[in-house]
Amino acid sequence: MQSKRLGWILLAPTLAILFLFGVVPFFYVVYVSFHSWNPFAVNPEMIFNGADNFRQIVFDQAFLNSVGVTVMFVFFAVVSELILGYFLAQAFMRDFPGKAIFRTIHTLPLIMAPIIVGSVWKLMTTPSIGIIPHYLDEWFGITMNIGTSVPAAFATIVIMDIWHWTPLVTLTLIAALVSLPPDPFEQAQIDGAGKRQIFWHITLPMIAPAVVATVFIRLMDALRTVDEVWMLTGGGPGSATRFVGVHIFKEVFPKTNYGYGSTISVIVLYLTIVTCWLLYVTMLAPRNKRD
Amino acid sequence: MRKQSPIIGIIFWTLVSFLTLFPIYWLFVISVKPAVQLFSTPDIWVSDPFWGNYAKVWGDRLLRSYMLNSIIISTGNAVLCTTLGFFACYALSRFNMSGKESIFFWTITNRMAPPAVFLLPLFLLMTQVYTLGEWKLLDTRIGMILVYCTFNLPFAIWTLRPTVDGIPKELDEAAYVDGASSWKVITEVVFPLCRPGLAVTLILTWVFAWNEYLLAATLTNFNARTLTTGLSEYVTTTGTEWGIMATISVFTLIPALIVFGMVQRHIVAGLTFGAVKG
Amino acid sequence: MRIISLMGASALALAAGTVIAFAGGHAEFWKKAAEPFQGVTIRGVTESSPPSLYIREVLAPEFEALTGIRVDVETTSWDQMFDKGIKDMEAGTGIYDMVYIEQDIIYSYLARDFLTNLSGFLADNPELQAPTYDEANFTTFADYFKDDDGNLYGVPMEAFLKVYLYRKDLFADPDIQAAFKAKAGRDLVPATTHAEYAEIAQFFTDYGQENDLKLWGTTAQAHTGHVASWYEYFESVAPTFGVYNWGIDAGNNFSASTANGGTMNGPEAVAAMEWWLSMRDIAPPEAPASTWTEVGTTFGAGRAAQGLVYGENAGWIAADETKSLVVGKVGVALPPLADGVMAAAESGDGYIGYYDGGAFGMPHSSKNKAATALFLQYIGQNEVQPDWAVAAPRVTNTATYDDPKVVAFNEELGGYYDLIKDKGYLFAGAPAYPFHAQVREATAPIFYQILLGDLSPQDGLDQMAAAAEATLSELGYRQ
Repeated sequence: MQSKRLGWILLAPTLAILFLFGVVPFFYVVYVSFHSWNPFAVNPEMIFNGADNFRQIVFDQAFLNSVGVTVMFVFFAVVSELILGYFLAQAFMRDFPGKAIFRTIHTLPLIMAPIIVGSVWKLMTTPSIGIIPHYLDEWFGITMNIGTSVPAAFATIVIMDIWHWTPLVTLTLIAALVSLPPDPFEQAQIDGAGKRQIFWHITLPMIAPAVVATVFIRLMDALRTVDEVWMLTGGGPGSATRFVGVHIFKEVFPKTNYGYGSTISVIVLYLTIVTCWLLYVTMLAPRNKRD
Repeated sequence: MRKQSPIIGIIFWTLVSFLTLFPIYWLFVISVKPAVQLFSTPDIWVSDPFWGNYAKVWGDRLLRSYMLNSIIISTGNAVLCTTLGFFACYALSRFNMSGKESIFFWTITNRMAPPAVFLLPLFLLMTQVYTLGEWKLLDTRIGMILVYCTFNLPFAIWTLRPTVDGIPKELDEAAYVDGASSWKVITEVVFPLCRPGLAVTLILTWVFAWNEYLLAATLTNFNARTLTTGLSEYVTTTGTEWGIMATISVFTLIPALIVFGMVQRHIVAGLTFGAVKG
Repeated sequence: MRIISLMGASALALAAGTVIAFAGGHAEFWKKAAEPFQGVTIRGVTESSPPSLYIREVLAPEFEALTGIRVDVETTSWDQMFDKGIKDMEAGTGIYDMVYIEQDIIYSYLARDFLTNLSGFLADNPELQAPTYDEANFTTFADYFKDDDGNLYGVPMEAFLKVYLYRKDLFADPDIQAAFKAKAGRDLVPATTHAEYAEIAQFFTDYGQENDLKLWGTTAQAHTGHVASWYEYFESVAPTFGVYNWGIDAGNNFSASTANGGTMNGPEAVAAMEWWLSMRDIAPPEAPASTWTEVGTTFGAGRAAQGLVYGENAGWIAADETKSLVVGKVGVALPPLADGVMAAAESGDGYIGYYDGGAFGMPHSSKNKAATALFLQYIGQNEVQPDWAVAAPRVTNTATYDDPKVVAFNEELGGYYDLIKDKGYLFAGAPAYPFHAQVREATAPIFYQILLGDLSPQDGLDQMAAAAEATLSELGYRQ
């Protein structure tokens, strides 16, 4: 094999950029997280307060609540996207006229900016005037008010996320399904396996890495979601959609609570990394090694 | 797979397409409605389209410069991330470096950071540390291209890794036997074979950069403002200018559509992250 | 005359670009004073609002043509504007030479000594003092941007009242008048008390329902996830019940709870909350998802018969046909009040509503202070005010009220300018707290729970008072 030096040279620019714009800011955030710092306090300076912020966070009801709603959101959104994405990908495996056009249409939401998605969904769901509540009321007599109803607001955000990101899942799953070798399936059919058995014992294990990788990307993006929610509900009603991204935003932007906001961010980043790492080592890494 | 009547497929996909397209269609409807109609009873069809918003947006010199900035920043960032990501993946795939799997995982952690709190250190770094004399990285296109690497470069590496891994090492070795240099092997043997994967990476990183809002809103002021930040200028105290916002949104969709259309056929072939190797 | 909308301003700028109509005279002064600053660019950040856009599109190009000093104005959304200004001033970067200072944030900026003392700066640099600029020209609103010694820290560029808007056409309709009289036993006139207001609101909501109209009796800025609702309660509703300065007693160790001497959870505050929630319940269904933006749009779409609306919006609602369905049908009045509040306001012990606005200030970190001081004086001159007041309904200079253009526009606005001129002193800006946003953010989540009905007004206000006091202790204001 070639010299390892070339490998490091090829990696160097990547490592340099991520170091300068990822690691250095991260160290700064970690540093700040051990301080109490609000520029509009009586003392506007950074004051070292040890692990006080970390101690406080354990009992911070608002933060725990935001973690709770985030987990719910990620769960509902990502699971729905996976199931829907899988069925749509399966549907795309058949041939039918106009398939290419339909596939193009299906990928369109991907190219929309989150802030635009949030705006258009806000307009569609404005109580009484938006087109969705209007026709729900006119046709079915259902009142939908995302300003007062927690389930309505939460569901709207989840549906918006599903609308926006299912296409990404579909695309990756199509790629996975296309690359499946036909032999095991033929063999299973000859052996008289049912549809369900084929799915659980052959298809799923073979596409599992793609599924996990997709979950991975969707999971970390969903955890960082801010723009759409900010536009659509601002975190409301109450704190029903105050996801950690929004919570941190409110803590460091309007409240200028830089110290504690940094602590929350460090904790959130830590939790995200641990979750993803567990997923990675249990599901993905072994396969990479085996190959 | 089982044979099925094509009609069912078409009906099914027409329905799905309707749901997919509706919010985009609605964006268009808002953009061709005069402001005065926005808070009246919604009509699904536009009977008398109003093109005033388009004339205004098209005639706005600031928005044109935002559009140019957006194009330069997204394209620059996508090309940079795809290229560097490819090199990184080649290194991770071909060299037996110690700790390379840890590095691979570490790259993606850069995408997990909650953005809001990182804005302050980035602002400080770009105004006080990453400077050349009077010149600051803040509010420059190159600055935004580099900042966007924090979320796009890891994505590029993660999308490209399986593609590069999938190119048989025997091809490299054969080329070396023929006396090719490492550079030649990378650029003329492996690179062309990865084309579908590279195309997909390029388009997705381009879209992520094109759509980014929060970082651009904070880290640009006059010279490098992008179209998404232009949108926020229409959220005003005296009523959000939804019509103008929707029109700008339609304008932001068009370049994205063109870029997307160009590589559409590569998408499925290239999006193999984590996929099993045949 | 019509209000120019956001984009209309750029068309106007084009016109201004071809024929620079310089209003002030004294061109010689400006040219001479600006001589050392040729090629300098000064930069400002502001909220994207019609008055700011007028600066960007009209005043800045005019000034550049006159003096050769280029002015770049970055307009952005409300929350971004604060963040960017604060980051720049905090780090002392010097990106901005001018920052928009909303009236409610000035005390935070002054406490941190972010801003240049303009009075002092001009006194120290007499060669920059423009003959047409005088601090005495400003209305009393400028007092909010002064320190205890009367030094000015910002040139006012916006000033609005949050007023009681009502639909003149509906209130004057003989059938409606008769129906109201039959029901209420009195004439239908704009309310002066909360009970009257509630009665009228209920009447119109019922009227809308009976006649299958998209009409409700009141607006409510009652968003359940945006601070707009918090502001409506503390700035516009609580004071009319006699709860001032958010119920926090600055003279008494910043106490908020009644136990410690504050009024945030007192009986008046609870009554105000209950009344406001009852109005919210008969407002249009979009009220719980409404910020100031949607309230204006709701009223402009003709969906409400009366409401408390920010003055920024009163202008386009009353006069801009491209955006409003109720042009020419809008009347303005003072908000309904509880007993004793008017007397308190008259004597200066209280206030009846929110006097809102902003100014342009010059950060200490600015590297072009002299050129910036010239521009700030330029936009503070009496001569540039009338066209600005018509383009974006705001008045900051006393003389502007008497300009024929403004007098005519006042008619279109249903007497809104008269109200500012004659009754402006009854209103007040945000309390002089350097911890404005911090206490707001600490209490807002509890406030939203009250709106959702998860907490009763009393319990919620108790918790809010406790949260406010905890935050104030944490920040070091409360001992």
